[in-house]
Amino acid sequence: MTDEKLLETRDIVYYYEGNKKPSLNKVSIVIRKGVKTAILGGNGAGKSTLFYHLNGVVQPAEGVVLYRDTPLSYKKKAKRELCSHVAVVLQNPDDQIFGQTVQEDAEYGPKNLGLPMEEVKERAKRALEQVGLWEKRDQNSLQLSYGQRKRLSLAGAIAMKPDVLIMDEPTAGLDPQMALELMELAEQLHHNGMDIVMSTHDVDLAYMWAEDIHVLRRSEKVYSGPQEGFYADRELSYSAGLLAPSMFQINTTLSAMRGVDPAPYPHTEPQLVAKMVPGKPRGKMEVLASKGGFDQGYIDSLKSSGKIVGIFGTEIRKHISSNNIMVDFFFGGFESCMSQLLDGKDSVIICDPDCIDLIEGKIKEMSAFGDPIDYTIGEA
Amino acid sequence: MSLLEFRNLTYSYNSRQKKPSLDNVSFKVEEGRRTAIIGANGAGKSTTFYSFNGIFKPSSGEVLYRDRPLIYTKEALRELRNDICVVVQNPDEQIFSSTVESDVAFGPMSMELPRDEVDKRIDSALAMVGMSEYRMRPSTQLSYGQRKRISLAGALAVRPKVLILDEPTAGLDPQMAREVMELVDELCCTGTTVIISTHDVDLIYSWAEDIIVLNHGDLIYAGEPEEFFSDASKTASAGVARPHTFSVNSYVSKMRGKEEAPYPRTNSQFVAKMAPEGTVGGKIKLVPVGDTVEPAHFNGHVGAYGYSAKKALKALGIPIDYEFDALEMCMQDAVKGLDSVLYCDENMIKMARDRIDSLETFGVKAEVIM
Repeated sequence: MTDEKLLETRDIVYYYEGNKKPSLNKVSIVIRKGVKTAILGGNGAGKSTLFYHLNGVVQPAEGVVLYRDTPLSYKKKAKRELCSHVAVVLQNPDDQIFGQTVQEDAEYGPKNLGLPMEEVKERAKRALEQVGLWEKRDQNSLQLSYGQRKRLSLAGAIAMKPDVLIMDEPTAGLDPQMALELMELAEQLHHNGMDIVMSTHDVDLAYMWAEDIHVLRRSEKVYSGPQEGFYADRELSYSAGLLAPSMFQINTTLSAMRGVDPAPYPHTEPQLVAKMVPGKPRGKMEVLASKGGFDQGYIDSLKSSGKIVGIFGTEIRKHISSNNIMVDFFFGGFESCMSQLLDGKDSVIICDPDCIDLIEGKIKEMSAFGDPIDYTIGEA
Repeated sequence: MSLLEFRNLTYSYNSRQKKPSLDNVSFKVEEGRRTAIIGANGAGKSTTFYSFNGIFKPSSGEVLYRDRPLIYTKEALRELRNDICVVVQNPDEQIFSSTVESDVAFGPMSMELPRDEVDKRIDSALAMVGMSEYRMRPSTQLSYGQRKRISLAGALAVRPKVLILDEPTAGLDPQMAREVMELVDELCCTGTTVIISTHDVDLIYSWAEDIIVLNHGDLIYAGEPEEFFSDASKTASAGVARPHTFSVNSYVSKMRGKEEAPYPRTNSQFVAKMAPEGTVGGKIKLVPVGDTVEPAHFNGHVGAYGYSAKKALKALGIPIDYEFDALEMCMQDAVKGLDSVLYCDENMIKMARDRIDSLETFGVKAEVIM
């Protein structure tokens, strides 16, 4: 986490054509490099309008937008250059999908960057694999379901390998499995160095993920900072049309009743459970980095061990169905396994090799809420 | 007697389908039971809805309404759809007319009601969804959330016996989502049976009495939610998430060696259950709002539940602290030992009272003052 500024808006004002009221009114925010950032606000608060400013598609009537401390230029060439660094995924995938084959759609972005064709193909393939659509590469993109189209528009952006990925309501309309898989992908991308900014009004989801939030209410920014500060001001959050996340609300109320400090704040279910029931015997966690090849002996021993198995990562997800492994949790795998571990069961997280540090970080976070978790890291 | 029933219903969109969209599905929906249909995308939820109102005719098996099999003639279906209304997820599939008024009028007009009755119904439907000022607006100029409310108003104007809502809160912000659920509560209290499909298990767990779970066209569960959610890995394998309050209560109770029941379904109930023993709850002054309302003299936050309560308080110039999710907000206050006043539509008083009284079974009594 740094204080290096990635994107900044200074007092920006914007009017849609024919409107007397501004859709953004003197909005100033700083998005910090390496900090997971969510933009919150009710419908019509100005979230999407703000996003159009961040990649230079829209120029503010007043104020200035900066990328890495440099004011944006709105000349054609500069705008194109910026789009290769800052990618925006719109809420409605149909605004971004052109109705060719899935593969052609995913190639569109990198092609526009003027990359060699070989590189274009490679990036599109990788991105489609990451969102789980490689098998559908030859289908017409308009024949995909809504959730699939949504993932395709995301693949198109990832394929450009932007420095910053900005997603407008990425989980809206997705079912829980798809939503959690998408959040996992966002974590993985962020862990591997891509900055992620998302807008959402799913406060529970944002609470699990974001480090900084910026809140808009009727075209104005009303809050910037860590989430606790916002929800602790119940009047402010309520007036912005947002209710406090369950985890926050439950923890602060119970802490107040017991007369104890609400910090540390649990952001996930197992963190809350660990905090509420301290000092219980727990299971162990085994973190296994895997590229997908498992020998039958291992699979058999896992099956008979009675351990709870969860997976994490986009690569492993692809392989796991072809291996005959009994997976208990295909999505939200870390949190579900951790909760079961708190209840005394041993668990195994099978993850992509590039997720080891990420998982280890999550395990270490747990020690703020009780005894440290006993874990091992290995390879399979 | 059940209100709606599927008997061994199978439906395929075409003969090339390897697996039918609904595969030998049987369940019953009881009159007045708050029923939710859950399942991943592609599980068969929308197919179920279109089978309820006769748009889809089963490939085999049957649909029964009030114990009678549906008749698929034009005339019978028209009559059926005066009783059973489906509001689809995407409002643009349901909004056809140029103005809000003509759009909401569509249902009652096709029932051939007299014009003044149609007008009356438009008035009340728009008021219920909070869109009265938009009556003469072109439907195309509305935001997504507004269009969503207009498509709901169109169904309300028909005054159906059964209202079926497909993802009514998808794409809505927390405030609007709670307002829709409040409206649903109001309908339930005035005799409409409401069936909702949704991915938002946290929201639906606080509402539903029964859940119906579909997975790849198969019915995998029908009944009270707890039995289904109790198996974490089975729930996950159906592509369904567990509600936070259920899951945390389950782990915490097990680890403390206590019974999981009673099952908290809202944050206030959860906190009441986990509160230190001997916690004394605050009071809630419950003020019924009908044609008239007596302003209460009582210290505490002021909440308004139901659209006539909100309207009345605004007319009287009484400031409202809780304009949405007011019942739960007042219950949360009570669990913390704070007093509040809840102005509540008289139709919803019983329901509000029952929910507030429920806090006692979770360990904190909140006194209701009428």
